[in-house]
Amino acid sequence: MTVSIQNNLLRRFFRGRNSAEKQFLAGAISPLVLYMTFWTIFPLLWGIALAFFDYSPRQTGGFLGFGEGNPFVGLQHFESMLNFTADAPLEVQQFHIGIRVTLLFAVLVVPLNLLVTLPLAFLIESINDKVKGIFRTLFFLPVLAPSVGVAIMWGFIFHPQRGLLNAIIGEFTGKLVGVAWLRDSSLTVWGIPVALFAIVVAYLWQDMGYNLVIFIAALQGIPQSIKDAARIDGANWWQMFARIIVPLLMPTILLAAVLTMISAFQVFDIVQVMTDGGPDDQTQVLLLNIYSYAFRYQKMGWAAAVSIVMFLLVFSISFVQTRLLRTEWEY
Amino acid sequence: MKKLLFVFVVASLLLAACGGGTSATEAPAGGEKVTIRVWTHQNDSFNAGYEALATEYMGMHSNVEIVFETFDYDTYIQTLQTALPAKTEADVLQMFGSWVCSYADGGNLAEMPASVISMDDAKAKLLGAPVGGYICDGKLYGVPQEFNIEYGAVLFNTAIAEEVGATDYKDGWANWDEVIEDGKKMAVTQDGVMTRAGLNFTGSDGIATMFHSVYLQYGGQYLKDGVYTVNTPEGVKTLELMKQLVDDGLVDPLLYNDEENWVGDSYFAETSAMGLVGPWAIPEYSGDYAEVAAATIYQPLPSVGSEPVFAAASGWGLTVSVNSKAQETAWDFVKFVTLDASNAVEWNLASGTLPALKENISGANADALVVEFPYFKPFLGILEYGQYEGQFPDRDFVWYEVAYPTVLNFLQGNATLEETLQTIESEVQGSFK
Repeated sequence: MTVSIQNNLLRRFFRGRNSAEKQFLAGAISPLVLYMTFWTIFPLLWGIALAFFDYSPRQTGGFLGFGEGNPFVGLQHFESMLNFTADAPLEVQQFHIGIRVTLLFAVLVVPLNLLVTLPLAFLIESINDKVKGIFRTLFFLPVLAPSVGVAIMWGFIFHPQRGLLNAIIGEFTGKLVGVAWLRDSSLTVWGIPVALFAIVVAYLWQDMGYNLVIFIAALQGIPQSIKDAARIDGANWWQMFARIIVPLLMPTILLAAVLTMISAFQVFDIVQVMTDGGPDDQTQVLLLNIYSYAFRYQKMGWAAAVSIVMFLLVFSISFVQTRLLRTEWEY
Repeated sequence: MKKLLFVFVVASLLLAACGGGTSATEAPAGGEKVTIRVWTHQNDSFNAGYEALATEYMGMHSNVEIVFETFDYDTYIQTLQTALPAKTEADVLQMFGSWVCSYADGGNLAEMPASVISMDDAKAKLLGAPVGGYICDGKLYGVPQEFNIEYGAVLFNTAIAEEVGATDYKDGWANWDEVIEDGKKMAVTQDGVMTRAGLNFTGSDGIATMFHSVYLQYGGQYLKDGVYTVNTPEGVKTLELMKQLVDDGLVDPLLYNDEENWVGDSYFAETSAMGLVGPWAIPEYSGDYAEVAAATIYQPLPSVGSEPVFAAASGWGLTVSVNSKAQETAWDFVKFVTLDASNAVEWNLASGTLPALKENISGANADALVVEFPYFKPFLGILEYGQYEGQFPDRDFVWYEVAYPTVLNFLQGNATLEETLQTIESEVQGSFK
């Protein structure tokens, strides 16, 4: 069946071309196909296969490292992920924590990002054309900064003794302040760890430029006639934003939400540098968990299984989000 | 279609030819030139020591060429992980002792030939803690060159002690009360915020090593026949001592840990008056903090037991790949570098490390080390009390994922002593499954 589909595709691809053209096409695409096979498809398949083995690069295995010291374990990794008892192995407990923290992070980041960027884009679009560019550049600059640099900078801001935040609070209180924003696991707001909030702030600061650009582009695409009509009908600033702009931007909001959600699920470097998953695993996101088990503790089979779960999670949420918010607009 | 297939096959063969790594050096026929590849991690002083000895060795063996390939630390770990299964590793591999057994168990390392040194001779010649890392299931897989020590003495700022009138250290601390007395005087707290720790021991290595060392001093044995036990009276006493240091105001574990005010940085920035960290910290910082380094001594810690036993994580050393086709020459080079007392101390002098050979902890070689590194003196006297921290399936997991965060959480007041011991015991034991 698969072979027949492949043959059909190849036949369709080469249909109507003479021999020289076929040779040229085959020669031109072969390096790309080989590149993809070796660097994308093969690692992907190998990564999926790893999830079914108790694989550690320290152990000697057979073909591609599988078998012998890295035995086949079937679905054992996935089964153990369903162990919710108190005596579950640490990697399983940390996987559960990772899922919880990643979901919480995404749930915080997506609405906050949209709540900040959408009105901001509207404001920037409303101001004088001469200064628009300055604001656009200013808000997009953090996107260009390397994540590790951003994390180090925010780490300094939240530092308990030398941090800017404590210094500002100290200025107001007249006392030395030593709150360990990133290290004190007892600091929570509505049950959410303050350390996670701190990472959300740093992440939003860096990431919001993307959505801002997307929203500005979308705002520029809304016909002026619609806005003029609303004004003639007496719509004020807020009504214009809430009843005209936001509904017309729904497809863009959906796109931004999906992209932000995917990006939030993949957060890693900021967390690793700012908290390394601490305090007490409160910021242990799934990708950091995967990295730790794959490269620090060399349990690559387990890490591959967690990666597959993470992929399915991101895929499902993006799929549901897309289906739920699917609308067709014409203007 | 056939032509397309042909293009694929040719390109695949070309790529395979490009991608195929070179395996370990091939064995030479008698008298032929032998090239030994040596992999080490990037550490200028370590590698200067290796290169000097390699030059000496090549002078004595004209048919042998020794080629060094170095990698930064993280890349080295990843390179070992990928190269060993692919059998593209070098002949001689620098390893940290606590890694050795995981690679040996995977069948990647060659067992030490008795002609180089027997197990009994190795145990007689080398200190217990460093060689312990190289012994796996009763077989020896390499030779340590240094003694990696994280417990036994602390960095001590004599200038601060002088300034605040802390004097108990001068005759050596007889017990922990005296440490606490000096530490309290040296700590500074303003508006409830600690601005200078008296004794910063709350880094990951500090916490994990102190926990296991004091446990041993109380007479406990945390690892026996693959069973890890710390939820015992000795475990309770150990955590009580560590908590007492926090409660007495020597350190605030919220402000001083691996992530904030890491012990080395904090000590040399003078936000800690004492710091629990190994002697490798001094050469690392003395260039930038010459004034602090000049006022620094290593002060031996008292033991809660009859002897100052402590847990130690073996040390850097050399192993030989099982895939090396020039194993005989590779082992001969390893023997030359590690087991000859004068060569071994030459490397210790170049790298600023403590010796792994018993012969070099006293006598002329030890004196030479103390002349070069005066802060080694308190350590040389206690090295023989060091015990290898034990064969864990994954030592770093136990140290950094279990012991450090769990004890830190307890010291920060977020868990009870009983919960802490139970968690450590069950999570470490779980890693043996």
